[in-house]
Amino acid sequence: MAEAPPVDVRGLTKHFGSTVAVDDLTFSIRRGRITGFLGPNGAGKSTTLRALLGLVRPSSGDARVEGSPYSELGNPLGTVGAVLEAHSFHPGRSGRNHLRVLATAAGLPVARVDEVLSEVELTRAARRRTGTYSLGMRQRLSVAGALLGRPGLLVLDEPANGLDPEGIRWLRDFLRSFAAAGGTVLVSSHVLPEVAQIADEVVIIHRGRLVAQEPLAVLTARSAGSTVVRSPEAERLRERLTGEGIEAAPAGDGELRAAAPPERVGEVAAAAGIVLHELRAEGASLEEVFLELTTEEPA
Amino acid sequence: MIRLVGAELLKLVTTRLLLWLGLLIVALEVLVISLHVSQDSLASLAEARNQRDTVSIAAVSALISLILGIVSSAGEYAHGTISHTFLVSPVRERVVAAKLVAAGLAGAALGFFSAAFAWAFAALLLSARSVTLHLGSAGVVRVLLGTVAAAAITGALGVGFGALVRRQTAAVVVALVWLLVGEPLLSIAGIEGFAPGHAVASVVEAGEQGSNLLGFWEGLAVVCGYVAAFGAVGTLAVTRSDVS
Repeated sequence: MAEAPPVDVRGLTKHFGSTVAVDDLTFSIRRGRITGFLGPNGAGKSTTLRALLGLVRPSSGDARVEGSPYSELGNPLGTVGAVLEAHSFHPGRSGRNHLRVLATAAGLPVARVDEVLSEVELTRAARRRTGTYSLGMRQRLSVAGALLGRPGLLVLDEPANGLDPEGIRWLRDFLRSFAAAGGTVLVSSHVLPEVAQIADEVVIIHRGRLVAQEPLAVLTARSAGSTVVRSPEAERLRERLTGEGIEAAPAGDGELRAAAPPERVGEVAAAAGIVLHELRAEGASLEEVFLELTTEEPA
Repeated sequence: MIRLVGAELLKLVTTRLLLWLGLLIVALEVLVISLHVSQDSLASLAEARNQRDTVSIAAVSALISLILGIVSSAGEYAHGTISHTFLVSPVRERVVAAKLVAAGLAGAALGFFSAAFAWAFAALLLSARSVTLHLGSAGVVRVLLGTVAAAAITGALGVGFGALVRRQTAAVVVALVWLLVGEPLLSIAGIEGFAPGHAVASVVEAGEQGSNLLGFWEGLAVVCGYVAAFGAVGTLAVTRSDVS
């Protein structure tokens, strides 16, 4: 039998009353990769991750970690580290004591607590109450808890939410080095660029359904080559472009959106002696592909 | 399982909850014992029975321990730490069982502290009024031991009830309203003896006071029944609910 994927979600469906949070979702992730789990707010990402971690009971289907339902893992902390929302600490308990509680329950030595604290650079604040922590510090405490059992898989739910740029960079560097050391990462976000910089692959969901699962490079390629051009002879340019096999559509106010890189559009215009007033590659294109994928009504 | 009980005890001692609950006990005992000893006549104070009643304020720790138990279970939902707890120990029945044991132990500790402080403070004030002490009497010993037992039991009872409700403030309020309003209403029908609050009181009083209370053993059996019932229903509620 082939080795089970680190995360395997099959036909997962979850209803909350009459609301369908996750709707027959199936995907798996590959070992040693960083997979971005994307979708707008309310798409069902958190519910999916919580079902994966045994916190939410699926209405049907299942979600497995290393081939088992979470509740049947012999050593959960040593299998998967989870970073959920950053507010779930007792404000009156110190960061170190929070980790000591987890370590005690998992049968891990206290020495491991100090190791992970230093790994996330939280040693100096370790004995302060978490109520005094900044969001970035709480996030690092979450990460420390996830690392306690030395898992090979990390699952993070919107870890960048509310973090300042420095915190986001820290997190990005951390996840990169975790993956570089052979770890597998599943990280959710509602903002594609956050994930685009580190993910090898993306799983995109919308309204609880799978919209796309592909390598990031494929997603990027989808958006490549779109050009906006403005010309007093927009209609003639459109005909020329179409004649060259380039799809072009009016984008209002003498503008065209052409499915080709700016160089190509410029060449066609020059050959036809058409004056251009503006020629630009489409900005934030990845973001637009993402929005396009996630705003379409599912058929 | 021992690891989980250890983790639950560690949770209880790494916040200021026990400190505040301990201070609350001290404040109540100082107030009640001071008033009693300063206002009662010397003749009454000298009676063994009166001294037993004086230290019986220690039993307030059973109520405080109930709150401790509720906070131990429902409080984790309030702070969201329940996610961490279930991530380490996904078999939730074990978590509730560990909480029942830990809150029972912590409740017994609170009860012991409460009994010891009440005894010492009463001894101090009674001596100050030059009253002959009868604080070694069987009645006093029995009410203080009953207090320890009752506080241990109510700690576990609070865990079960908190697990059932899973909302900290609501659980504490409902428990207090039940004890202050619900049980007095039952007494109109004359069936209050079997209610949780009265059954706990009968463990403390050990059949010495009030015809409306059960005897010690009957009370103990009834209270343990409540612990088992709330523990079971609470476990069921916790295992069936989503954590989000």
